[in-house]
Amino acid sequence: METQLRTSTEPIPYREPTALAVRGVSKTFTGTAALTSFDLTIAAGEVHALVGENGSGKSTVIKILSGYHQPDPGGEVLVRERPLDFGSPDASYSHGCRFVHQDLGLIDASSVADNLAIVAGFPCRLGTVRRKELRSGARRDLARVGLDIDPDRLVATLSPAERTGVAVARALHEDPSHPVALLVLDEPTATLPDREVERLLGIVRAVAARGVGVLYVTHRLDEVFQIADTITVLRDGHRVANLPACDVDRAGLITLLIGSELDDVHAVSAELPPEHDAPLLVAEGIEALHINGVSLEIRPGDVVGIAGITGSGRESLLSVFFGAQRRTAGRVIVQGALLPSGHPARAMKAGVAYIPADRKTLGCFVDLTTEENVSISDLRRLWRWPRLSHKRERAEVSKWIERLDIRPGAAAAMPLSALSGGNQQKVLFAKWLRRTPKLLLMDEPTQGVDVGAKADLHLEILRAARDGAGVAISSSDTDELAALCHRILVLRDGRVVAHLTGSRVTAAEISRACLATDERSGT
Amino acid sequence: MRTPRRFSFGLQTCSGLYLWAAFIITFGIWKPDLFLTSATVHSIASSQAIAAMLALALLIPLTAGVYDLSVGAVINVSTILVVEMQTKYHHGMWTAIVVSILVCSAIGAFSGFIVVKLKVNSFVATLGMATIVSAIQLIISDQSQPLPPNSPAWTSLTQKTVFGFQIVVVYLLVLAIIVWWVLDRTPVGRYLYAIGGSPEAARLSGVAVGRWSWLSLIASSTIAGTAGVFYASLSGPSLTYGQALLLPAFAAVFLGSTQLKPGRANTWGTLLAVFVLATGVQGLQFVTGVLWLNSMFNGVALIAAVSFAVWRQGRPAKAHRERSTDIEHQPTDDAVERDRLAASGASTHQAQPG
Repeated sequence: METQLRTSTEPIPYREPTALAVRGVSKTFTGTAALTSFDLTIAAGEVHALVGENGSGKSTVIKILSGYHQPDPGGEVLVRERPLDFGSPDASYSHGCRFVHQDLGLIDASSVADNLAIVAGFPCRLGTVRRKELRSGARRDLARVGLDIDPDRLVATLSPAERTGVAVARALHEDPSHPVALLVLDEPTATLPDREVERLLGIVRAVAARGVGVLYVTHRLDEVFQIADTITVLRDGHRVANLPACDVDRAGLITLLIGSELDDVHAVSAELPPEHDAPLLVAEGIEALHINGVSLEIRPGDVVGIAGITGSGRESLLSVFFGAQRRTAGRVIVQGALLPSGHPARAMKAGVAYIPADRKTLGCFVDLTTEENVSISDLRRLWRWPRLSHKRERAEVSKWIERLDIRPGAAAAMPLSALSGGNQQKVLFAKWLRRTPKLLLMDEPTQGVDVGAKADLHLEILRAARDGAGVAISSSDTDELAALCHRILVLRDGRVVAHLTGSRVTAAEISRACLATDERSGT
Repeated sequence: MRTPRRFSFGLQTCSGLYLWAAFIITFGIWKPDLFLTSATVHSIASSQAIAAMLALALLIPLTAGVYDLSVGAVINVSTILVVEMQTKYHHGMWTAIVVSILVCSAIGAFSGFIVVKLKVNSFVATLGMATIVSAIQLIISDQSQPLPPNSPAWTSLTQKTVFGFQIVVVYLLVLAIIVWWVLDRTPVGRYLYAIGGSPEAARLSGVAVGRWSWLSLIASSTIAGTAGVFYASLSGPSLTYGQALLLPAFAAVFLGSTQLKPGRANTWGTLLAVFVLATGVQGLQFVTGVLWLNSMFNGVALIAAVSFAVWRQGRPAKAHRERSTDIEHQPTDDAVERDRLAASGASTHQAQPG
């Protein structure tokens, strides 16, 4: 499992007491090793990136640290040189471990202040919550991470970036009796656009500067180089590398993770000439919540990117096209047919497919099986009076499982909740691609997906475009947009403020366009 | 169940069957002359037929995450209506039956309107409808229990015997097969389960969420109305039995959702739950005659069975691992974790009001 690039196993020398030392920790789930003799050392003030594909064991590491999993006997974990009792979230907390999970664990229907106080405790007098103190405490916690949000706002009304910020603020709430020794961030930037990533990284640096060790788990390799002092790479539960960030470059890191699959995508994308047929989609003067008049045409073979910071309208434009959200003005015409507002079934009939950003609540049915998730998009073709043909269903789903390399291979009859995030996203692709849509609308198509699965999904998108479909991708991942798209629309305040084509479609140019407009607006 | 090849008779899916066998063996040894008789079998079957129909009525909207609390009131108003029409207003039997069932369908359609068009939570809407319907029942009955119609055709509608069973048991079986077919073998069932999983995701998959939720409420009221007619023919009119059947019917559906297809409310699991409980109660009644037994037994069984299901599924991902022979299957820690959450969620989410 060790790679040729670097096989160092000795811990990085440290100056101060270590924030975290993990030695020889393994975890086996009824016969399957999720983590094998894992070592990790984080010095106080060090930012340590933990990278690996889905299922490589990253989550297991986090769950052992948080007291959720009991590791196999034999290993030990020291936090500030005090041994950690396993399997106890309380012990983990009192040792000073703090966590921000990918599912932030915020209560949508409660206010920001209540969410912060649920962990820290409500300031009370005679059993009654003191609202003023609650609010000022919340402001203090938010200010610590540089957030300026009204504490009375409901979490449901926050943007994804603001939610992450609230979760970080909550984790870093000062507790004098149990000072913070280690902050674990699990995919904190999965849904954040670049500018807010920058801000979050700033917060992380500030936290580290106070002598807190930071374990930073991410799929986004760029951030690793921006923030991490040290990188640990996991593959199949084994540590395959542990090296200073300056000793490796992006390509080297990708090789450590999976191989060189991402390069292929770029090659295919470059081949695709935008054709000049009649447009598949004509959108004129679209107005909706966060959208103030956007017009757009998409032709067969086109791959159009939608970029913009959070709140720019990037998140809602495609869902308005599809009818997931209502529009207040404008026309959406797909292949000559006018789509009514807020009517997804009609859009589907016109040949539109839509993959929403929020996979868990909008994209799929986690309690249903994989095949039920796939076939729901068109059951008629499986219907043979007097019943749905299960044989046909299984045959079709198996074909997709093979084509998209969905794992495990026996996934068809398993509930979707048993699949990892990347595989769930592949199932979602299968669900829509089986309809051979003419127009593919995708919000964050590879969000929270590991590098290998990402490449598979990118190839599917390009394949659809080459077969004559029009594609629109809205993504906060500028690398992804640059790799896939022929042209990019940059949104700000619900309007198109830049249109990048040809050689200007690069990650740097997209980021600059998003940010430049943002600076002008002074927000 | 949909994949017979993979169906296993493990404790995970079939604990109810084993419990049933245990009851039969225990009481068979304990009270062989009372319990092990065909009379006992026939009596359990027909005494539970109406309760089982009501459970199947609830099951349909519940698969879509829609609670129908009005079925208890609906079944009762149907009983009173079908009897009153015959005895007080001297309509023919079939007219009375058809009108009663249609009235119940209309009640369901109105509940559906409140839930789908006015967007009132189904729990609240059908609770209100239940109260309204019981008021209507008071108006119809004028607070006095009507006399049962005195015609042989009316009683033989349900009491005619087929192979020793009253024919109402056959009606139940036919109904169960129809419900199973719809939920398990048609796109409608897929739509309902998808809506139950996530209404918004269903909408974004092109499912007509409003239409199917609405139809599911019409179906539940219609089935409840039909069951009410059968009850009137089987046991005679009663002013209050409906509400008493409502919660046991819910209990049967929840209990049934731990059986055969764990984590999912399903037809045969529901029926299994009804009859396992009835067998246990019947057996215990042969042993002791105390009155509180029925409720106590049903309550304990519901909590014990659902707790057991949560506990079984709560342990790491063995459900899949044990059955899977696919070596490629290497469950990730994420997957194990999600499995845990899903397993416990699946068994508990249905207990929360929609």
